[in-house]
Amino acid sequence: MLEKKERYQNRIELLQGTLDLLILQTLQWGPQHGYGISVAIRSRSGEILQVDTGSLYPALHRLEKQKWIRAEWKVSENKQRAKYYQLTAAGKKQLSRELSKWSQFSDAMAGVLNPEQT
Amino acid sequence: MRLWFWRRKTREAELNEEMRAHLEMATQARLAQGANPKEAESAARREFGNIGLLKEVTRDRWGGRFLENLTEDVWYGLRMLRKNPGFAATAILTLALGIGANTAIFSVVNTVLLRPLPYKDADRLVTVWGYNRARGYDTDFVSPLDFADWRSQNHVFEGMAASTDVQYTLTGEGEPRAIIAYAFSADYFHVLGTAPLLGRTFLPEQEQPGKNHVAVLSYACWQKRFGGDRDAVGKNILLDGAPYTVIGVMPPGFQYPSFTELWTPLTVSREAAQDREYRYLRVMARLKPGVTIQQAHSEMNSIARRLAQEYPKTNKYEDTTTLVSLRDMISGDIRPALLVLLCAVGFVLFIACANVANLLLARATGRQKEVAVRSALGAGRWRLVRQFLTESLLLGLAGGAVGLALASWGTKVLLPMFPPTVFNVDIPHIDNIPMDGWVLAFALAVSLVTSVFFGLAPALHASTNASEPLKESGRGLAGGAEGRRLRSALVVAEVAISLVLLTAAGLTLQSFVHLAGSNLGFHADHVLTMRVFAPSYKYKTDAQLIAFSRQALSGIRALPGVQAAGTVTFLPLSGWQGNRGVALKGQSTPENQLAVWNSVTPDYFRAMEIPLIEGRLFEERDDEHAPPVAVLSENLAHRLMPNADLLGKWVDVEGLEKPVEVVGVVGDVKQLGPASQTIAGIYLPFSQVPAPIICFAIRANQDPSSVAKAAQQAIWAVDKDQAVGFVMNMNQLTSEVVAPERILMLVLGLFGGMALLMAVIGVYGVIANSVAQRTNEIGVRMALGARSGDVLKLVMSQGLPLVLLGVAFGLAGTFGLMRFVSSLLYGVRATDPVTMAGAAFALAASALLACYLPARRASRIDPLVALRYE
Repeated sequence: MLEKKERYQNRIELLQGTLDLLILQTLQWGPQHGYGISVAIRSRSGEILQVDTGSLYPALHRLEKQKWIRAEWKVSENKQRAKYYQLTAAGKKQLSRELSKWSQFSDAMAGVLNPEQT
Repeated sequence: MRLWFWRRKTREAELNEEMRAHLEMATQARLAQGANPKEAESAARREFGNIGLLKEVTRDRWGGRFLENLTEDVWYGLRMLRKNPGFAATAILTLALGIGANTAIFSVVNTVLLRPLPYKDADRLVTVWGYNRARGYDTDFVSPLDFADWRSQNHVFEGMAASTDVQYTLTGEGEPRAIIAYAFSADYFHVLGTAPLLGRTFLPEQEQPGKNHVAVLSYACWQKRFGGDRDAVGKNILLDGAPYTVIGVMPPGFQYPSFTELWTPLTVSREAAQDREYRYLRVMARLKPGVTIQQAHSEMNSIARRLAQEYPKTNKYEDTTTLVSLRDMISGDIRPALLVLLCAVGFVLFIACANVANLLLARATGRQKEVAVRSALGAGRWRLVRQFLTESLLLGLAGGAVGLALASWGTKVLLPMFPPTVFNVDIPHIDNIPMDGWVLAFALAVSLVTSVFFGLAPALHASTNASEPLKESGRGLAGGAEGRRLRSALVVAEVAISLVLLTAAGLTLQSFVHLAGSNLGFHADHVLTMRVFAPSYKYKTDAQLIAFSRQALSGIRALPGVQAAGTVTFLPLSGWQGNRGVALKGQSTPENQLAVWNSVTPDYFRAMEIPLIEGRLFEERDDEHAPPVAVLSENLAHRLMPNADLLGKWVDVEGLEKPVEVVGVVGDVKQLGPASQTIAGIYLPFSQVPAPIICFAIRANQDPSSVAKAAQQAIWAVDKDQAVGFVMNMNQLTSEVVAPERILMLVLGLFGGMALLMAVIGVYGVIANSVAQRTNEIGVRMALGARSGDVLKLVMSQGLPLVLLGVAFGLAGTFGLMRFVSSLLYGVRATDPVTMAGAAFALAASALLACYLPARRASRIDPLVALRYE
């Protein structure tokens, strides 16, 4: 029990809903497979944001069902057959919506936390 | 469907490959960083987490998982049930009994109370009656003049029609047959809204004398008389010796009123058309759309009040009306009994559910490991609950299927509730109880609801803390205390409800014994009865009627084996009766005592063994030339003159011109059966007051059926065209007249027995299970010096409070619920303390015995064996 708790404390919990934004944003730079997405999020966040595979794949399949991303089997640079996800037109629109929602949200948070700066 | 499976399979394979690719890439990344292959792979797996759960959750995102899970669960559930056939059989049988009993009772309720009547918008049909306040007749017949005013003055009915019963003798082929027919006013069929199957119904002008020799046949009569020949319309039949033209045939469902074989037009006689006191019509009306029966009632009352003011001489006491919906009219007196049965059978089902829930809870203890493993492998709580519920549903549906078979047999047992021969308007005439779509739907719905009902609590219970057992060295009893509490509560409820049912069964049993053993005022053994209607076209004068009865009786008396033979107008228990106002001479008022009258031949009393209390019976000398006499029942004599002797006094009888002298008083005869207070009041000599309805009562030396054929021949020797009906042993009547009560008693007794058995099994199951779980503890106790008596006490002290608590709740429930059965009871109070105490004692004793058996087993546990069992 103890061990488990510590592991969770070392990691920043993703806020509800932010995983979708992170996935869509990552895919903006081009098609990527699940492993690649998790690596990309981890490295771009400076190893702080760890995406749990248990959340990543259900999220990918959900986004695919919502037609915001599209999947395609391709062979990777290491000759590995992998399922690549890429943004659809609807997904791009969704991304910009999520982005503006996020910036609103973070401005609001910042305003509350550091009132003297605004 | 196949395409769906195929797509599902592809996606499944893709998901597997996606996972595999992820793991491989993660491993390779670690290899690239210099880890050794084994470490790299296990690290990747560790980081990845629970693959099974991940796939499960991901698949959930695809949607449409429900069906897939369901098939999985069903297969798994079937496997689990097959692995434990004893459990499955017990549960299915218990449920089958509960569901079967419910379905059987429901199919009767469906037939009698719910099935749509075979008339258009039958909910708008009402019967309209007069209400004679002075005589206390709340459903009085209506005179043709009043009816005409009702029809023309009301604004609430779309149509109003009248009818009256008529008897015909059908001759012309085979044995002459008495036929029950109804005379319908021309628009009657139209008010009921039923079109004929063949031909047409009456035209208004066919109500006129001379044009009224036409008949509409019932489907059954058409089949019997014409073999279903479509050319029957236009042919003639002989009714009372006169030709009637068949103008139409009604469809099979149309049977109003019950027993009716054919209909003829209603022709109002000249006398009846002039006198408002000629009250003999039954009125049927159809409410206008949107008008309620209450609105119609108040309008009819104001019309009756107006008529009472206008015609005080005849209508003074007829100033209100009674309206009864056709539905209530038809279901009649059987309704409360059916509702009680429906309620009782619901209780039985509850107990069955509680028992199966108990079984499931007991089994859940044995399945803890399985549940724990499933939970550890990623099954969520809801998923586990769903699995358990699927198993319950399988049990419920199997129970429902077996129950349906039981029910189809059960309805045959219930059919005698509706006696076929007694013409009793209070009980509907039903000759089959179909298992229609509604019954099937009901059985299915009950199966599903009970499945959830008995399965939910065990499922929730089994899925809480599902993973605990794996942690505690595989021995602990996760949620054991909670499960025991739940089971104990179920057992208390079972005991309580069983007590209610047992008490109800005890009460109806006593009531029936009281009814069946009650004195009817005559002895039915060895009495044969027959009924003839002497048609007026042939027996035009009193002298002809008297001659017919004399000759027929002397023929019957001459038969070997006949002890005595007499006739009566309205045979007791046959459901028929006639009333006349009776008063001391010169004291006649409209509020006269009403008495059931009968015109009898002298030997009637001897044939029925009706005891003479004082004075004398009729003799042959009391003939048409002698002074008029009467014999009264004790009851009527007392009502007329409470404190004095009525012998030798003169009384006025409604319908007779001269007063009659009371020459004798006889014992009271229950005219309509033991449950009714109607007493045959006044007897008049047949030769002084002959009546065309003649019922024979023939006392034989042996089995009365043996003289039946010869007795009919004796009547035909006098008149070969005379129809003889209602040939049966008086004993059959005494049995049929209490048939509804007998069935109620038997069925409630059966339910009570089932409830008792299931409650006892429930108690036994809980105690035995707890003993099994505590074997270890008991072993320790005994090793530490507890004697077998102590162990016995220990186990009994667990069962005793449950039983006592159940009995206490049951007694409280009995007090609350028994008032609903009180209207069905005769000669016993609903809160009869002896019955309650008896039921409580029987239940408590059986339940304690059920505790004692496992307790004794526990007390004989060998401590060495018990501890090794560990």
